[in-house]
Amino acid sequence: MRREELTVLRLRVNFGVYIVGAVLLSLVAGFWHFQIAQSRRFVELADKNRFKQIQIIAPRGRILDRENRVLVDNRPSYNVVYVREGAQHSLEELAALLGPGLDMSLEDFKERVDKSKNEPKFRPIILKEDVDVPDIAFINARKLELRDEVFVEYQARRKYLEGDLAVHAIGYTGEITPDELKNKDPKLYRSGDQIGKFGLEQRYDAILRGKDGYRLVIVDNRQREVEQPGYEQPVGGNDLHTTLDLDLQRAAEAALGDQVGAAVALEVSTGDVLVMASKPGFDPNLFATRISASAYQELNRDPRKVFRNRVIQDHYAPGSVFKIFMAAAGLEAGVLDPLDHVNCTGVVTIDGVTKSCWKAGGHGSVGLYEAIVNSCNVFFYNVGKKLDINRIAQYAKQMGLGRKTDIDLFGEDAGLIPTPDWKARVYRTKSKADQKWYGSETLDVSIGQGAVSVTVLQAAWAMGGLASGGRLLPPHLVDPGTLDKDGFVTQKLVPSQYTIRASTVDVVSRGMWGVVNEGGTGTRASVDGFDVAGKTGTAQVVGKKSYGKDEDFEDNAWFVGFAPYRNPEIVVAAFVEHGGHGGTAAAPIAHAILDTYYRKKTGQFGAQANGPIAQVKP
Amino acid sequence: MPAPLEARSFGKDFDWTLFGAALLLALIGLTEIYSATMNIPGDVSFMKQAIFVTAGIALMFVIASVDYHSVSEHIPWLYLGSLAVLIYTPLAARRIAGAKSWIDLGPVSVQPSEIIKMVVVVAMARYLSDLHMKGYLTLNQILKAAVICAVPMGLILLQPDMGTALSYLPILGVGLLVRGLRPTVIVSVILIVVLIVPISAFLLSDYLKAHQKERLLTFIDPSRDPQGKGFQVQQSKIAIGSGGLAGKGIFKGSQNQLGFLPARHTDFIFSVVGEEMGFIGVLGTLGLLGFVLFRSLHNAQTARDSLGLFIIMGVVGVYFFHLVVNVAMVIGFFPVVGIPLPFLSYGGSSILTAFIGLGLVINVRRRRYVN
Repeated sequence: MRREELTVLRLRVNFGVYIVGAVLLSLVAGFWHFQIAQSRRFVELADKNRFKQIQIIAPRGRILDRENRVLVDNRPSYNVVYVREGAQHSLEELAALLGPGLDMSLEDFKERVDKSKNEPKFRPIILKEDVDVPDIAFINARKLELRDEVFVEYQARRKYLEGDLAVHAIGYTGEITPDELKNKDPKLYRSGDQIGKFGLEQRYDAILRGKDGYRLVIVDNRQREVEQPGYEQPVGGNDLHTTLDLDLQRAAEAALGDQVGAAVALEVSTGDVLVMASKPGFDPNLFATRISASAYQELNRDPRKVFRNRVIQDHYAPGSVFKIFMAAAGLEAGVLDPLDHVNCTGVVTIDGVTKSCWKAGGHGSVGLYEAIVNSCNVFFYNVGKKLDINRIAQYAKQMGLGRKTDIDLFGEDAGLIPTPDWKARVYRTKSKADQKWYGSETLDVSIGQGAVSVTVLQAAWAMGGLASGGRLLPPHLVDPGTLDKDGFVTQKLVPSQYTIRASTVDVVSRGMWGVVNEGGTGTRASVDGFDVAGKTGTAQVVGKKSYGKDEDFEDNAWFVGFAPYRNPEIVVAAFVEHGGHGGTAAAPIAHAILDTYYRKKTGQFGAQANGPIAQVKP
Repeated sequence: MPAPLEARSFGKDFDWTLFGAALLLALIGLTEIYSATMNIPGDVSFMKQAIFVTAGIALMFVIASVDYHSVSEHIPWLYLGSLAVLIYTPLAARRIAGAKSWIDLGPVSVQPSEIIKMVVVVAMARYLSDLHMKGYLTLNQILKAAVICAVPMGLILLQPDMGTALSYLPILGVGLLVRGLRPTVIVSVILIVVLIVPISAFLLSDYLKAHQKERLLTFIDPSRDPQGKGFQVQQSKIAIGSGGLAGKGIFKGSQNQLGFLPARHTDFIFSVVGEEMGFIGVLGTLGLLGFVLFRSLHNAQTARDSLGLFIIMGVVGVYFFHLVVNVAMVIGFFPVVGIPLPFLSYGGSSILTAFIGLGLVINVRRRRYVN
């Protein structure tokens, strides 16, 4: 009985051997799947766990003026950042712990975190940027509680040493947007990068930005660094040597003061932009630290449009400044003789249209010289009538108006030199009468009114070209030659030359000398010892003004001039929106620039307490 | 009754091969426990485990030398005393991971529900061997056997510790199967398990504790909660998979050393083996565990009487259950239940239980030739 019982039991135990064997084999098959068949995938996952690549941001190049004075530098700065991955505290707990010390409410915390909630969890979110020493001490004192959740992180920031000086030329930087990222080389640009957004910062971003380095670190499960198996040093960006002259720029902006307007100065022989001033401006340092939405809105809502570079982005009727180009065109076309005289009675009727001179009662008998000095409208109506609109346009374009100068900034406006074809095209949906070009419109253009418009840069550039005998060089804030030295491939500046007789240049220049030096409208631009030649413009403003109360429809004021009047070195254009008369509003700005230029040239300009001078490569 | 049995020479009859395999497993476990905790300053897991292994081996020799028949004779009060301890445990215990299953004994804490498993093994063996029959079990007998297992299980569920409670089931299951169940009953039970258990798990999910429900749902979809239980399994799979054929080297597993692997010296010790020793180490460890099981099954077949056979089969059932559930868990084939791997996982109670079981198996083997 016992034996039989045991025999049966042993048979059943034997069955267990097969069960155990089968189960062990299937487990081995499972490990085969993970460790042999799929091993490569899990090796990658294990590496992803432990390797972290930490970007080291390359310092951006500085921006210098033509005498290597630093306009833009970098400064060290610290942010308080928060990492959500593996966070031990809720946002409420953090706000209670850090809110009082950082002067932030729970709502502030939530706002910051919500903005970045779609980003990867390991990426630090900035809770407070550009913190000061007490904030840093406050966070570091709580290191034990905060672990690697909230900490202080270094970040270099842009420092605009001169504040809003030349801000429209220099520009500012900001974080790259998803749209911008789409059009960039993904090897060089990454989400979160600071890039140039405006001005030279934007135009020469590739030169200013360096190549970021990185640290490859091994981290443990709490993201603490254990080892650093890889390191690549960041390569700093190149300094940008601009053609701007800090002294002249300061003089120009001081003279512009609180007025809305612009001034530009070019070196005639090279096309170097010495001054590019547009007012009102803004402080680009606001963008170096994250600008608050309300501060940005306030700037953006300013009816004076602070972000517009009035030197290149806006175009205005040139007014009487245009008469210089009319005179040159008339002389070159042979419709005007330097000895021609016209009797100005204050009123003139041409082709049945009656037009008046700005001076009631007229200027009497005027020759070309008097017509320029006194800015006689009647004289130039006659020139315009003889030239006709198409020839006016042809000469104006040749001399550099109505087309882009190709300056090295984005967003340049081309201005407009109207023709009958242009009008027919623009008014093609309107009636035939609207499309027709009228003789009176030619007369308006002749004195720089009507549809004709130029940018402030064009006015200076074309005037410089005319004064230097038809030689036009693309204006630039950075000489491509200086970039070649740093190994960048750039396009050479190729001067163009149009034909103009020396006698024409001579006659026109003499007239402009008279404007400034012989009791003309531009007397206030004169500089003792420096033969300044120029022309004022007082352009009527058509349409409603967008700002201001008392000075509705006040004229726009212009002054365009160069010096010395023979073999000119520098050409200047100054413009004041609704400034009134060119001679009183714009000429003093030109004077400030030319006077400073002349004093520097003759060694009378005292060494001033300027910003730091950069050490530069020889 | 047979005359009192005196074992022959201890050294000659002792199952040194079986003990050698178990010792090797314990050494692999100690190596990887050291590897898993060497970066934690002040951690004494390795030293504690070494002491427990030594204590376990001593206990094994003691148990191997006392005749299992006399153990069986003392089983009624041992069983009742165990129930008393299980009732006392949740009253005196500290709460660890949501369960009150530990009691402090001076410098160490003990998990009585682990060690008591071996008391139930002997109790079950005694009941089943006393039946002395050749045919199939009656319903009445099945129910009586079930009660022996169900009472301590129920007490453990109250702690609540479902993982340990479940590890009592194989004692009943293996015992009944070896004693003899009607094929129709076996087929019906399999059908019930296959069909009804998953359905009722959902229907009864309201009665499950939150962490149990969590584990079940995570098993069904491991990507559900990447930072929670599913995260553990995912990290365990990464550790094992990245170990490859030969492993990353002992003390060199990145998942282990950098702390990505959870519970790495306790329930997930086998992941460390997989990462640092690779597929070769896994084969070796599973081979040793398999050897312990096969050798024990062989010892069961050569047992002198049915009591010895049932004792060994109870121990085999417990070992096998722990092995399958733990190893399947670390590669995501089974939900995360807190069940240690015998001889390898860190834990004094687990190690003592494993060596007590080994002592029982060797005890039975030593007395196989008498009669």
